[in-house]
Amino acid sequence: MQIPEDEQFEAYLKRFHPIAPEPVPTLSVRHPSRRSPLLGIWLAAVAAILVVIGSIGAVILHVRSSRIVVSNTASDAAVSERHAPSEPLTMRSANAWLATEPSFKTAVDDLAFRSHTSPLPQGKLSAVAVLSKEKIRL
Amino acid sequence: MAEIEALYRQHGAALLLFATAISGDRGRAQDAIHQVFLKAIQNGNVSEAINKKAYLFACVRNAVLNDAKVQDRNTPLDIDSAWFSPPYRDYAGEQNLRRALGGLPDDQREVLVLHVWGGLTFSEIADLLGVSSNTAASRYRYALAKLRGSMSAKENSCADSRR
Repeated sequence: MQIPEDEQFEAYLKRFHPIAPEPVPTLSVRHPSRRSPLLGIWLAAVAAILVVIGSIGAVILHVRSSRIVVSNTASDAAVSERHAPSEPLTMRSANAWLATEPSFKTAVDDLAFRSHTSPLPQGKLSAVAVLSKEKIRL
Repeated sequence: MAEIEALYRQHGAALLLFATAISGDRGRAQDAIHQVFLKAIQNGNVSEAINKKAYLFACVRNAVLNDAKVQDRNTPLDIDSAWFSPPYRDYAGEQNLRRALGGLPDDQREVLVLHVWGGLTFSEIADLLGVSSNTAASRYRYALAKLRGSMSAKENSCADSRR
């Protein structure tokens, strides 16, 4: 049987709270070691997916860039054929052109074949040249 | 795992105080508690215990006593480092209590810590120590009387020195 004085003293003692211990290291260390195999598998899977996506992307980029080069080459050729005469043909420039040429036929031939980069083989005539040789009766 | 973490949060401080009170060294006390909870995590035997709190105190006591056997030395009680967080920053009172506890005989200090801060009944303490409930209760009464006497004597001497 405790006397009240003892109870009061006991209550006084209980006001002093014991200091908490440091956390158990294994409680925090055990989690990563248990998860490490799963984590490694996940990392390997993610790395493999990234490699596949990267290689697919590289192939797509390569195909697209080659298409662009081809289309650029084709369009450049078309442009160069269309705009072979560096200056636009006007009435004035045409009159000047005809004045310098010996005949109308020569002037037209020169204009027609000016944009050709590859010369005609020997013995071959252009369509304009063939037509100009023929006597057309109107 | 969650249950063991909850037990550690709930009883860790009292277990550390109890281990310090019987081992005399705070570092060894800390090691003993970590050892007990590590085994509890590995074996999961705490969940099978009916009285988990009493079981943990018994485990800590066994761990401390086994460690003392292995080390084969009688370490003097470490009363230089703080054992309690004092109320209202009463650091002098904390130091006074710590020294008074250090002055108690081992068996009385053990029972006092188990009852006051461990919250164990005399019956549980008797089972833990392998003594009768009456012995546990009488040890407690002696301990309480000695502690009060030494603490009040210390307070009186402090008051006299202030005059």
